[in-house]
Amino acid sequence: MHTNRTNWARAPWPTRLGVTGGVLGLLLTTAACGGDSGGGGGGAAADGGTTREDGPVSMRMSWWGSDTRHAATQQLIDLYESQNEGVTIEGDFTGFADYWDRLATGTAGGQAPCVMQQDTRYVREYADRNALLDLTPYIEDGTIDTSNLDENVAETGMVEDATYAIPTGVNAFSLVVDPQAYAAAGVELPDDSSWTWDEMVETAAQVTEATGGQVYGMQAMGLNGGDTNFEVYAREQGEALFDENGEIGFTQETLAEWWNIEKQASETGAEPPPSTTVEVFNGGVDQALVATGRGASGFWWTNELPALTAGAGTELQFMRFPTEEGDGETGMYLKPAMFWAVSSSCESPQEAAMLVDWLINSEDAVEIIKADRGLPVNTELRDQIAPTLDPAGQAAVSFVEEITPDLQDPPALPPQGAGEVQAILQRYTEQILFDQISVEDAAERFMTEVESAIA
Amino acid sequence: MSSTLDVPSRERSHDEAPGATGRAAPRGRKWWTARLTPYLFLAPWFAGLLFITAGPIAASAYLSFTDYSLIGAPEWIGLANFERMFDDPRFYQSLKVTFIYVAVSVPIQLAFALFLAMILDRGLRGLALYRSIYYLPSLIGGSVAIAILWRQIFGSDGLLNQVLRFVGFENPPGWVSDPDYALGTLIILNVWTFGAPMVIFLAGLRQIPTMYYEAASLDGAGKVRQFLQVTLPLLSPIIFFNLVLQTINAFQTFTQAFIVSGGTGGPADSTLFYTLYLYQRGFGNFDMGYASALAWFLLLIVGGLTAINFFASKYWVFYGD
Repeated sequence: MHTNRTNWARAPWPTRLGVTGGVLGLLLTTAACGGDSGGGGGGAAADGGTTREDGPVSMRMSWWGSDTRHAATQQLIDLYESQNEGVTIEGDFTGFADYWDRLATGTAGGQAPCVMQQDTRYVREYADRNALLDLTPYIEDGTIDTSNLDENVAETGMVEDATYAIPTGVNAFSLVVDPQAYAAAGVELPDDSSWTWDEMVETAAQVTEATGGQVYGMQAMGLNGGDTNFEVYAREQGEALFDENGEIGFTQETLAEWWNIEKQASETGAEPPPSTTVEVFNGGVDQALVATGRGASGFWWTNELPALTAGAGTELQFMRFPTEEGDGETGMYLKPAMFWAVSSSCESPQEAAMLVDWLINSEDAVEIIKADRGLPVNTELRDQIAPTLDPAGQAAVSFVEEITPDLQDPPALPPQGAGEVQAILQRYTEQILFDQISVEDAAERFMTEVESAIA
Repeated sequence: MSSTLDVPSRERSHDEAPGATGRAAPRGRKWWTARLTPYLFLAPWFAGLLFITAGPIAASAYLSFTDYSLIGAPEWIGLANFERMFDDPRFYQSLKVTFIYVAVSVPIQLAFALFLAMILDRGLRGLALYRSIYYLPSLIGGSVAIAILWRQIFGSDGLLNQVLRFVGFENPPGWVSDPDYALGTLIILNVWTFGAPMVIFLAGLRQIPTMYYEAASLDGAGKVRQFLQVTLPLLSPIIFFNLVLQTINAFQTFTQAFIVSGGTGGPADSTLFYTLYLYQRGFGNFDMGYASALAWFLLLIVGGLTAINFFASKYWVFYGD
C-alpha cells in the first residue's frame, strides 16, 4: 500500500494532463448536439414508386397511444399483411410527447416512417416543410376513397388545395362528469344547456366543500388539453385560437378572462391545490381526478371516456361546455381525432396510400380499432360499429350525435409552431396557480411568445 | 516537502518497468515507452471521440449559425441565434436554475463525499461492502428508473409525506410539484450520488502517509488541526479534480429533470435546466439551430468556469512539488 501512495501528489504532470484531457472531453460532449443535416426535400411523387408487383414491399408505420391502441394496431398490421401478400409493415410506437421528438429526428435523418399518425398541431409543421406526401393525386385516382367520409372533418387535413392528411375519426372536447360524486356530495348537477362558467366553478366548489376536500369539484382547465379548452372559449366569444390565415385569432382580454375562471376555481377550492394539480396532470388519463374517484369532473376528449370509466368503475357522463351568457351556444366543435399521413420520402407511396385507404374504409379494420382513434370518419362504418361498442363508447357516440347540430365547424389547420402553444399555456397556467404572475401579465407574455413561436 | 520523506515512486517505476525484461533499454526508448503507454491505453477513447463525437460536434458548430428545423435544409443566418439568446427570458431562467443547482449541489455533495470517505478510511470491517453500498447511488442515480422512483417518493401523497404526516406535519408540500421545492429536491438527488467522488477521495486519503499524522500528533495537533493542516493540503489535488468533474457533470444534468417534470421543466419552469431547455428547443420545437447555439454557449460557460477553476487552483491546490 505504501508503495502506491505518492502517485497523485508526486506526478503532477500526468495528473494535470489527465484532468485537462478529461475536462476537454466532457466539455466537448456538451456541444455534441445536433444531427446530420441530411433529409428534407422531396415533393409529391407522381409515380407509385415500388409496389408489390416489383417484389416484396416493406413499410414502417408509426403511431402514439395507449397499450390498448398498440395491441389493436398490431392486430391491424397482422391482418393487412395476411390479406396483402408481399407487403410487410413494421410498427413503431411511443407515447405522445416522445412521438414528436422521434418523428422529427427520424425525418431529419431521412428515416421517416412511410405511414404516420399525425395531429392537427403538427400537420402544417411537416407539410409546409415538404415532409408529407400530397395525397391529392391518390384521392383523385380513387386509391384513397373519401366518398363516405364525414364532410365536416374530411377537409381538415388540407393545406391550401392539397390534402396532406386523412382524418381517422372525430372527437369532441367536453366535460366528463361523475354524477354519483355530485349525488354523494348532495349537490345538484346543473343543466348543461344553459349553465354558465361561473355556475360551473360555483357548483364544483360546493362539491369540494361538501366532501371536505375528499372529492374536488373539477380538474384544472389549463393543463390537460388547455389549448383546446381555451380555443372553445375563444370561439364562444366569436374569436379563435388561430384565424384562417394562421394568425393569432383571440384578444388578450379574452385570454385573461379565461384564466380568471381558472384562478377563481383554484381560489375557491373548486379544483385541487396547484401542486396536486401538477401531479394529477403528469399522471395522464390514468391519474385523472374522475378516474381515481378524487374528482367530480374534468375536461377530456370523447374517445378518452372508456379509459376514464375503466379507472372510475362508475358510470361517467358528458356535459356541454358552459357559456358566458348561459345560452348554450358554446364554441365546441368536432375535431379530427388524429390523421394518417404519408411521408414524402416513402419509397412506395402507392402502397402507403392503399394502406391508408384500408385503415379508413375497410370494415375489417374499423371493427378492430373501433372508436380508439375517434369515432370512425367513415360515417357508414361509424353507424355500423356503434352498437358493438362498450357502454362508455356508446355514451360517447350518443353524446356526439346529440350535440352535432349545435357544433361549430372545425378550425382550419393551425400554423407552424402551434405544437408549442400547449406547453406555453401550461407554463403560464402553473405560474398563475402558484401566484407567481398576474393573469394580465401572463396574457400579455403569452401573446408575445405565441407570436414568436408561429413567426 | 514529502520528497525527502517518501520513496520517490516516479523514479522508481522508471527503474522497475524495464527491469521486468531483465535488460536495460536505451535511455531514449525508455522515455518514449513511459510517455506513450498511457496514450495507447487511451486510444480506444480517442477513437470514439474522433469518430462518434467529433462529427456531431462539427455539425452542431455549423448548425449554430443556421436556422434549422430538423425537417428541411439548414439556412445560414450568421450570429442571429446568439443574439436571440439575450432577448429570451427562458434562456435566463434556465441559466438561473442551472447555476443555483451547480453552486448548491456540488459543494454539498463534495463535503458529504469527503466526510463519508474519512469515516470509511478508518479501517472499518466490511469496508468493501460499505464502499459498494455507498457507491451504488452514483451508478443508478442518473437513471430513468430512479428518477421515476423519486417522483413517487416525493409526491404530495408519496412515501416521504406519509411519514411526515405520521410524525405530525399537517400540510407537507409536494416536493417535486411545488415550484418552491422542486429544484431543492433535485439538488438532494444529486448530492445523494456522492459515491463516485467518495471513492476517489478514499483513494486519495489512502495515499497520505500515516507518518504525517504521527508527526502532527507528536507535535500536539488535535484531530481538527490534523484535518486542516495535513489532510486538506495533501488531498487538495483530488478535491480539485472532483470539483472540476462534478461541476461539469452538474451543468450537464438532464435525465432527472426531464423525468421528474415530464420534460417540461415545470412546475412553472422551476426545474428548467439549461440542457432541458436546449432539448426542448431542438427536438420539441423544431429549432435545432438555436439549440446548437445554446449548446455552444454552454460550452463557453463551462469552459470559462473550468478555466477560472484551474486559475484559482494555483492558490489552494498543493501538488507536493
